[in-house]
Amino acid sequence: MRGATLTAVAVIVFVGASLGSGVARAQEDPMREARDLFVSNCASCHGADGQGTEAGPSLQGVGEASADFQLRTGRMPLSNPDAPTLRKPPAFDEDEIALLVAYVGSLGVGPEIPRVDPESGELPQGSELFIAHCAACHGATATGGAVGGNAFAPGLHESSPLTVAEAMITGPGEMPVFAFSEGERNSILRYVEYLRTTESPGGFDIGGIGPVSEGYVAWVLAMLILVLTVVVIGTQRGEKGS
Amino acid sequence: MIGWIDSRLGVDSWARKALRKVFPDHWSFLLGEIALFTFIVLVATGVFLTLFYRPDATPVVYEGPYAPLRGREVSAAYESVLRLSFEVRAGLVMRQIHHWAALVFVASIVVHAARVFFTGAFRRPREINWLVGVGLLVMALMMGFTGYSLPDDLLSGTGLRIGYSAIISIPFIGPYLAYLAFGGEFPSEGVISRLFVMHVMLFPAIIIGLISAHLAILVRQKHAQFPAAGRTETNVVGKRLWPSQVFKSTGLMLITAAVLAVMGGLVQINAIWEYGPFDATTVSSPAQPDWYMGWLEGAIRLWPPFEPHFFGITLPAMFIPSVLLPGIFFTLFALWPFVEARAIKDHEEHHLLDHPRDVPFRTAVGAGGLAFVTVLTLAGGNDVLALMFNVPVESVTWFLRVAIFVVPAAVAAVTYRIALELRDGDRRVFGRKKATFLERSASGGYEEKP
Amino acid sequence: MNAERGVQLAFVLSTLSSIGLVIVYLRGGDPQLEGLLLGAGLGGLGIGIAVWATRLMNSPEVTEDRESLVSPAEGEPGPLEGEGEAVTRRSALVRMLIGAGGTLTAALAIPTLSLGPTPGSSLRQTKWTAGARLVTAAGQALRPADIPFEGVTTAFPEGEVGSADSQTVVIRLRPGLLQLDGRAATWTPEDCVAYSKICTHAGCPVGLYRSAAHELLCPCHQSTFDVLRGAVPVFGPAARALPQLPLGLDDEGYLVALGDFPEPVGPSFWNLERGGDE
Repeated sequence: MRGATLTAVAVIVFVGASLGSGVARAQEDPMREARDLFVSNCASCHGADGQGTEAGPSLQGVGEASADFQLRTGRMPLSNPDAPTLRKPPAFDEDEIALLVAYVGSLGVGPEIPRVDPESGELPQGSELFIAHCAACHGATATGGAVGGNAFAPGLHESSPLTVAEAMITGPGEMPVFAFSEGERNSILRYVEYLRTTESPGGFDIGGIGPVSEGYVAWVLAMLILVLTVVVIGTQRGEKGS
Repeated sequence: MIGWIDSRLGVDSWARKALRKVFPDHWSFLLGEIALFTFIVLVATGVFLTLFYRPDATPVVYEGPYAPLRGREVSAAYESVLRLSFEVRAGLVMRQIHHWAALVFVASIVVHAARVFFTGAFRRPREINWLVGVGLLVMALMMGFTGYSLPDDLLSGTGLRIGYSAIISIPFIGPYLAYLAFGGEFPSEGVISRLFVMHVMLFPAIIIGLISAHLAILVRQKHAQFPAAGRTETNVVGKRLWPSQVFKSTGLMLITAAVLAVMGGLVQINAIWEYGPFDATTVSSPAQPDWYMGWLEGAIRLWPPFEPHFFGITLPAMFIPSVLLPGIFFTLFALWPFVEARAIKDHEEHHLLDHPRDVPFRTAVGAGGLAFVTVLTLAGGNDVLALMFNVPVESVTWFLRVAIFVVPAAVAAVTYRIALELRDGDRRVFGRKKATFLERSASGGYEEKP
Repeated sequence: MNAERGVQLAFVLSTLSSIGLVIVYLRGGDPQLEGLLLGAGLGGLGIGIAVWATRLMNSPEVTEDRESLVSPAEGEPGPLEGEGEAVTRRSALVRMLIGAGGTLTAALAIPTLSLGPTPGSSLRQTKWTAGARLVTAAGQALRPADIPFEGVTTAFPEGEVGSADSQTVVIRLRPGLLQLDGRAATWTPEDCVAYSKICTHAGCPVGLYRSAAHELLCPCHQSTFDVLRGAVPVFGPAARALPQLPLGLDDEGYLVALGDFPEPVGPSFWNLERGGDE
């Protein structure tokens, strides 16, 4: 009888241990999967532990918000470290992004992915803050701008509110970090939505960049028509120029 | 009805003479009329705008229909323009017609001035009218600048700030002049109402006076004409004022107004609600003035950081590109008839115009001058160019710093060559000479004769 | 279609458009329709008249003589002579008349000086004083920790929010980046550095901060200032560094100014260096 009990206990312990370690392995797996993904796509520039190399900065402490922004907007991965970081279709799907974001988040304490709710923002506050803090780089109508060197503040008409908010918090590239409250952020997001969706009351908006395009249109459209009119009116039938 | 007027004013013989006046009939002589008719549109729409605009810098709270500005503190002037745009029926279209007309006004003056320059119509006895014309161009620029600054928005206010800094940069008297002009340190409360007086009263009075002089001198001297069979220095060949020229000009006036009206309705211009109210501590981008000030803006952007000091006196970096350059340019431009007459020793009266190719030097100078102003105007939008072509703005600036010397010289040289070639009738097509005649000589050989 | 039909059509189109314009207005207005209908009303009329002038009129080319502009010559008395000798003969009186008239004109021009005050020392001073706390546009006092690293804030003296000549940018840098010398290096509590926001070129607010390059860029004419080395200009037309505001901390840890800017803010003027009133 003792032999049977011992065997039963051994079986139970063995099965239990296997089950237990199986559970533990399942918990390890997502991070392993994330780390594998990171190592194969990011480590060549950022280092296997995200510690940074000559080719790419350290990711320790940049936070989930930063990784989410860079991956969602397709700026990362960057094949050539000297190339400018431009918005592109993302290279990873949602699940992969989630994994990588979690991994980068685990490398240190940094800004988390923000909650965004543009609808709760106030439009007047949003326009005031946008013009005061954003318009100098991104343009009064968020169509983008040249900010010197190879840096360009992108237009925001194709950006999602989440990525705009993440950019404000993490200050990617040449963009400064902005310490807005959540309410202020939502207001700015609401104004950016407004800029994107509202029709121009005055007609075609020819780019929304002001006098430069207005000047071109005045010459190329108005003056061309008027000078042609003058040529037609002023030339008698059967007569040529002068 | 004409009899009714005539029996009270006795204008019959004068009217007959006036309506029979002969005007030469080339299409390029109508270019100045585009400017004149645009001015009429400006006055007509301007009167409407004046009835709604408040030249007042007092802060008010905006409570109108444009949601992003509701509850914000803005100047009464800015608020009145918002109200005109969004709450007054036909307000927005009137504003937009007015602003498009301003851009076209200066453009048409430039095109007309180019015609006068390249055909030598400024020569004796028309030097006075040339000066009147240059005066009109300068006034048009000032009208534009004061006008677009009236809404007190962020973009035009930034332009005012730059104008103030340009005045301050004048040695010895700069700060005094700037404080006098603005009524104190920038941003001063009173500048908006001052600009209003300039724009609505003083400058239009001057312009109307200059236009009247311009037309009166033209009528007195009779219009110049291109040389052709039957045309001499002592006659005018063309069509009578009535009905031909009156109808053509009236048609042109209405078509000019029509083009401006359609643009005013269909193409948005100067959307001040996008820029927001003026705030001396903020600026948006891109930051440009209206196109006709672009050449000055470009000069300011291209000029290197040159600010020498001697004996404790500073020559501010702004002075040369924003004050000295336009001063020299307009002086040369105004004095050209006298400079040219001296240089080629021609003080005769001329009523027959030049074809540009017959005066290659003048044509080359004019083309080079236009190229110079064009490169500067492009430089005024160097950040927009950088964004458009995805190149660093520093590269665009350096490129244009070189181009401002190379391009006008190249354009002048090429223009000179082309004019010479056209003039001499010696057409070289792909290096082959024009066909010549072959003559058989008595001894049997062939000889080329031109 | 012959020309006359064309003119008729143009006039009819114009009439209909004008009526349409009135209807659009009475029904509430619409800028695009107003522009189109007004354009059609004007344009129809204009095109009709122009076609009439160019195709339906048989205006012959006529020749007219030019009168000579030069008046017939000497021998005749000039326009100022004859009875005018009462003036032209008395040259001494004429000279005094011109002298008195000129002086009067100059005197009449004097009220233009009422248009504005003299600058005095106002171009050399801002509202910053020793001990003034830095506050944001919302009026909140600033501690270094309130400014994120790689962040930029606009600040004013407490009580003078919005003051145009006192506007200041404050940037908090990571330790070890600043390369300032002398007293400027002592004006940077916890690696916060403050510069005048008014561009020394043409006075636009220097609104752009490039956080990776540590440069302030003015969007007006692209003057670029190196934040790490005292905002010296490194590109563009500005020739003078942005004045640095002496910063310190008060007992509660808030950022305060230690005094006004050490040199005039904003665009240069002729006696920038001399000191004293204008």
